[in-house]
Amino acid sequence: MILSRKSWTAAAIVAGIFVATVAHAEPYFAVRQGMKCNSCHFNPAGGGMRNAFGNGWAQTALPARRIEMPATDNWTGEVNRFIALGGNLRANATYNDIPNQDAQSEFDLEELRAYLAITAVPDRLAVYIDQRLAPGGSTNLEAFARYMTKDQRWNFQAGQFYLPYGLRLEDDSAFVRQVTGISFATPDRGVQVGFESAAWSAQLAVTNGTASGPEADEGKQASLRGEFIQNIWRFGAGFNLNDTDVGDRQMQGVFAGVRTGPVAWLAEADYIEDETLGSMERTQWVGLIEANWLVTQGNNLKLTAEFFEPDNDVDEDEQTRYSLLWEYIPIQFVQLRAGARIYDGIPQNDLQNRKLYFVQVHGFF
Amino acid sequence: MPTQRFWMLCAACALSACAGNGEGLDANGRPEGEGSDTLEPSFESIQDNVFTPVCTGCHAGAAAPLGLRLDEGASYALLVNAPSVEVPALRRVQPGNPDASYLIQKLEGTAAVGGRMPLNAPALPPATIAVIRQWIANGAPNIAVSSQATKLSLVAPADGSLKAESIVVAADGSVDLSLLQAGVVTLRASGGDGNFESGNEINIAVAVAVRSTQPAVLVIETQPLARDSYELRINGGEPVALADHGGVPVDGDGDGMPGGDFVAHFTVEEAR
Repeated sequence: MILSRKSWTAAAIVAGIFVATVAHAEPYFAVRQGMKCNSCHFNPAGGGMRNAFGNGWAQTALPARRIEMPATDNWTGEVNRFIALGGNLRANATYNDIPNQDAQSEFDLEELRAYLAITAVPDRLAVYIDQRLAPGGSTNLEAFARYMTKDQRWNFQAGQFYLPYGLRLEDDSAFVRQVTGISFATPDRGVQVGFESAAWSAQLAVTNGTASGPEADEGKQASLRGEFIQNIWRFGAGFNLNDTDVGDRQMQGVFAGVRTGPVAWLAEADYIEDETLGSMERTQWVGLIEANWLVTQGNNLKLTAEFFEPDNDVDEDEQTRYSLLWEYIPIQFVQLRAGARIYDGIPQNDLQNRKLYFVQVHGFF
Repeated sequence: MPTQRFWMLCAACALSACAGNGEGLDANGRPEGEGSDTLEPSFESIQDNVFTPVCTGCHAGAAAPLGLRLDEGASYALLVNAPSVEVPALRRVQPGNPDASYLIQKLEGTAAVGGRMPLNAPALPPATIAVIRQWIANGAPNIAVSSQATKLSLVAPADGSLKAESIVVAADGSVDLSLLQAGVVTLRASGGDGNFESGNEINIAVAVAVRSTQPAVLVIETQPLARDSYELRINGGEPVALADHGGVPVDGDGDGMPGGDFVAHFTVEEAR
């Protein structure tokens, strides 16, 4: 049966209603456009709810084709000057091929998230909530109050939030996110001060250092992130120190982005010194290079190579991971992703040598 | 355009030759000798074969999400009898009750909150989860495997005794005598046919007394036993297992591993 174009469009819209979106970020968008993360996001370091500009840009610049609607029907996320909403729902079909084990395949609802921003004083004072509603019960991920100075240069926030460090990648399983322990799955509680200028973005957060777990000691975690943004390139650095009763964990890293024609490049490297993993301090390296090739509007090809050195004092334990993804945005609010991730590690560990293939339907508003 | 693709491939190739060959390392990527190889229902084995290689990618050290560290030396105290942060009414590991342990619910994907563990990775094989379940069912003890499990032996009556009014069982180590509650020790008569699965078995009431404690010697008092074949059973598993003072179930079946029911058969002949 051959479907008409209208039928395909209708089917995509219906699928979009039931797809899951993810509260994650895509730094390569910012690199490609030469914009700062807070140009599109409520969070100054990116990720989470899109603001009105971000919603508008996503509906016009991203999709291969746009369903035209009356201007008054365009989604901005703003209910009124004081309240803004957003949401994500993401659904996956995955196939895991692990050596010496039966392969696993499943359909999965990865998450359903809702965002709410209540701006009591426009552009100055707001409360923000990022709530994961599914799967399972509701879990709060971010909940903080934020004050901004009149010139919009300084902002202060307190509550629970994602820590500022490195690239806020969509993929929490990327080595640079998983190994550093700072991702969209590990918010923490504390306070943060941020600075924004035309070319600079910086944040300093002091938090419990327990990734929202109960505080067990007097030690705290400090996270510092600074980024210098230009039209074609950007460069940033981060520092994180977690002081605990069982030792310190210190991370320092650099990250960068550059646009060369239709390709937006990202890179990050982190060096970790961890006294909390055993009797001896352990030092680790982790890195990522990512290329995003805008083949045509709405079609992005992503190639990623990652590296992880679990212990600098142990030879031949290194791990790598490679990913190839095709990301297609057929119409506004809907993204289809298909890809493969190849893990390569020591031959004794089957999990380090697995292959993951997936298809994802992703809706966002 | 071709130049862009060239540099993309170069970037990938630059890192592609960097995975380690694993020489001299165990499956956890640690120098050989640091851990055990075979997964068994003991905490040490589960640490070495599951927590360390699978979970500490995220749940390690100060970076552990929700403060749940699963690296060696920290994991036991943060699991056993520790309340879950996501569902405080549940313990992460409730000794003796794997179904009520939040750890099992997270591994099986039935937890009330959040995703299945390991997050963003393949699920653990059912056989691996079954071993963790067994460890929890055994009381979630924190000791190394097996060779220290107390063994039991039937001292009296000898097979073919003319009479028997008490049964003596000796242990080669200590036994937590507070576990000698109803149902842990059972005695059945075969019903005359020597078969304990024919459906005509007779339960015999018993009372357990302790003759000595180090090592433990149990005296199982009963009514005078008639001529028949008898089966004595002492629980080494659910619902309540006889165990030592460290919570390690007795090695009832003598396979060198904690757990397994102790089963002894004997016959009583008619006096002539």
